[in-house]
Amino acid sequence: MNGKPAKEKIVAEHVSVEFEKDTKSFLAVDDVSLTIQEGEFVVIVGPSGCGKTTFMNTIAGLVRPVKGTVSMDGEEITGPSAERGVVFQQFALFPWKTVYENIEFGLKYRGIAREQRQEIVRKYVQMVKLDGFENSYPHELSGGMKQRVAIARVYANRPQVLLMDEPFGALDAQTRTIMQEDLSEMFVSEKRTVVFITHSVEEAIYLGDRVMIMTARPGKIKKTISISEENLVPNRRQMGFDDVIATKEFLSLKAEIWSLIKAEILAKHIY
Amino acid sequence: MKQSSRRLFLSILSILVVILGWYALTSWAGIVPPAFLPPPQYIVTDFFRVVTSPYVGNTLVGHTLMSLQIVLGGFFSAVLIGIPLGILMGWFKRIEAVVDPLFQLLRPIPPLAWIPISLLWFGIGLKSKIFVIWLAAFVPCVINSYTAIRLTDPLLVKAALGLGVKKQRDLLWEVAIPSSLPVILGGVRIGLGAAWMTLVAAELLASDAGLGYMMQMARRALEPSVIILCMLIIGILGALMARGLKVLERRICPWVKQEEH
Amino acid sequence: MSRRSETFLNFIYQEEIFLSLSSILGFVLFWHILTDLLGIFPSLILPSPEKVFFTLYEKITVPVGEERLFGHVGISVVRILVGVGLALALAVPLGILMGWYEDLDSLASPLIEVLRPIPPIAWIPLAILWFGIGLGSKVFIIAIGAFFPALINTYIGVKFVDALLIKAAKTLGAKDKDILWEVVLPASVPLIVAGIRISIGVGMMCLVAAELVAASSGLGYLIMLGGDDLKPELSLMGMILIGILGLIADRVILAVERKVIYWKKE
Repeated sequence: MNGKPAKEKIVAEHVSVEFEKDTKSFLAVDDVSLTIQEGEFVVIVGPSGCGKTTFMNTIAGLVRPVKGTVSMDGEEITGPSAERGVVFQQFALFPWKTVYENIEFGLKYRGIAREQRQEIVRKYVQMVKLDGFENSYPHELSGGMKQRVAIARVYANRPQVLLMDEPFGALDAQTRTIMQEDLSEMFVSEKRTVVFITHSVEEAIYLGDRVMIMTARPGKIKKTISISEENLVPNRRQMGFDDVIATKEFLSLKAEIWSLIKAEILAKHIY
Repeated sequence: MKQSSRRLFLSILSILVVILGWYALTSWAGIVPPAFLPPPQYIVTDFFRVVTSPYVGNTLVGHTLMSLQIVLGGFFSAVLIGIPLGILMGWFKRIEAVVDPLFQLLRPIPPLAWIPISLLWFGIGLKSKIFVIWLAAFVPCVINSYTAIRLTDPLLVKAALGLGVKKQRDLLWEVAIPSSLPVILGGVRIGLGAAWMTLVAAELLASDAGLGYMMQMARRALEPSVIILCMLIIGILGALMARGLKVLERRICPWVKQEEH
Repeated sequence: MSRRSETFLNFIYQEEIFLSLSSILGFVLFWHILTDLLGIFPSLILPSPEKVFFTLYEKITVPVGEERLFGHVGISVVRILVGVGLALALAVPLGILMGWYEDLDSLASPLIEVLRPIPPIAWIPLAILWFGIGLGSKVFIIAIGAFFPALINTYIGVKFVDALLIKAAKTLGAKDKDILWEVVLPASVPLIVAGIRISIGVGMMCLVAAELVAASSGLGYLIMLGGDDLKPELSLMGMILIGILGLIADRVILAVERKVIYWKKE
């Protein structure tokens, strides 16, 4: 590692979030504190409904914590911003806009001139390998393609932080694997700070620099594993997905994380 | 919680403003003549005036009951004939092929347009009104019923077949009809609304009793307060009937998620 | 897809027009048999189809009242267009504003909820009192009828826009005003157009009602005159023309809908 100290990008301090459903309020996130460094790929993994999406929403600025604060670069996050782009599980593409217009969306609000926008959109269309589909509408695309547009749309907007909420959850297993490899490649070529939510343990280990395991609701961080720092799965980012998951380091890590999550699921009867 | 009390406050405020403005324009400042728009208090006094003592032949209650009788009579017979017919049309292709063209022709013609012909056929009495009202409720009931049956989810039918249901009749009763109930009831609701509207029109045109007749007479006598009174009652009755049907719907189809607007 | 659902769900023109024409012909034939051949109905009660067509043909040149046939049709069409146009011009913007600004919703809703259940037809006596028997009262009734469906549908379309799309827009840097124009409005177009379609249907019904009760021209007037003058063929002719007018209007709106909502394929 070169001697430069890593900058603290996102700091969450004692964040608790309450949720209201059918006039009952319950605690979704319970006193979570964490720090995310600039350029880190952090994955939060945990059982369904544990609060990971809710927690990510506090970073996105879409939800205010009832206790504690979340800040980016020292400033408290009070609302959504283009600096914290979000990729949603259900794609959230604007159905009346073409692929090109979707990817272009955020750039207009940054005041970027048309010619420059064209360049940027073209670049990211290529990066997500959707050349030739610029004028297609979302309903003409497959699930994987739609998600690629969603990712390109956020990437093109150059946010400082990328928040991804189970982005591959709505895709079939095969597409998912390929998308994971693509994302890994993108992350290597254009490094951003990424917060990634998933309930797939394999995905977490494959993609994450650090993996945080969340308990069942109300969500707390049960354990944090620093995969990159402690080089737990060597040369991970230079290998394909199928190669990585065959290594014994991967398998033992997966077993460890899965047993922790499974314990949560069984203990709280949430299946 | 602050949001809903703010909403309540604004709603009450706007009602008050409207009533006060209405009062101010008509009674207090006298800008609008009472023959054009009566002050709000006239409506209240008129209500008490006609509720017990007769107005053009019957009390308010009497006229209301007349209207209701006719509407409910026509409506119920339409529902009782229309729904089974619609179901049969939806289930048996042959019946549909014969009767469907007739409905496609009938549908764009508003039931009110039938009133003159109906008068010619049945004379000025009750029958002509009931016919038109029956027609108004009949068409949506049939159309919704057969549409719903035709769109029965084939997946559910396959599931039933795979669980041992063999006879066509059982499939109809156990799968097609229950799954079509929400849409059928929707058709019933539309039919009721149409029937009610058609009744008012029929009473405006050719009647000697009922709320519509009362309105028409009040207009001739230049008593807009009575007109407005009748309008409000017609509106309230219509809303109550619709609400009643909604409650019935929820009882009959508890599995349907209710929309929240 | 089974053939049933195909013929029902598919808006392929050729198939529908063929089916409609053949069923219409079949029906006319049946009608002819009932009246002319079998003589079941006296012509005072149910005139034969030829009589109706002859009346249609005749009235193209011979005036009824003050207008010839196309004049009556034209007057009815003008009334509908003005009435519905007026209603939409008010209802759609209001619906958008009410859907977007909660406070406006709270302020306007009570009045709307009181007026909405009153059937437009019930406004006729009041309208006649206020506007007389001229164009004004007809336009008023049609407008009242067309106003509420358009308002409600627009309101729902705007208010219940998929929250996900709004979140996405916010995280891409759009501000509130931009979100209304760029996301909420396009997203609510389907419902708005559906509301317009309903409005036109209600408007037609109100047209007929208003013309039946208090008019001296128009298709509704013709229908009523037929009853008064004991000429059912006139009434039937009017009814058929109204039906055709309604079908045309519906088709036009469907075509517009398909053009405007190009992004949805069901």
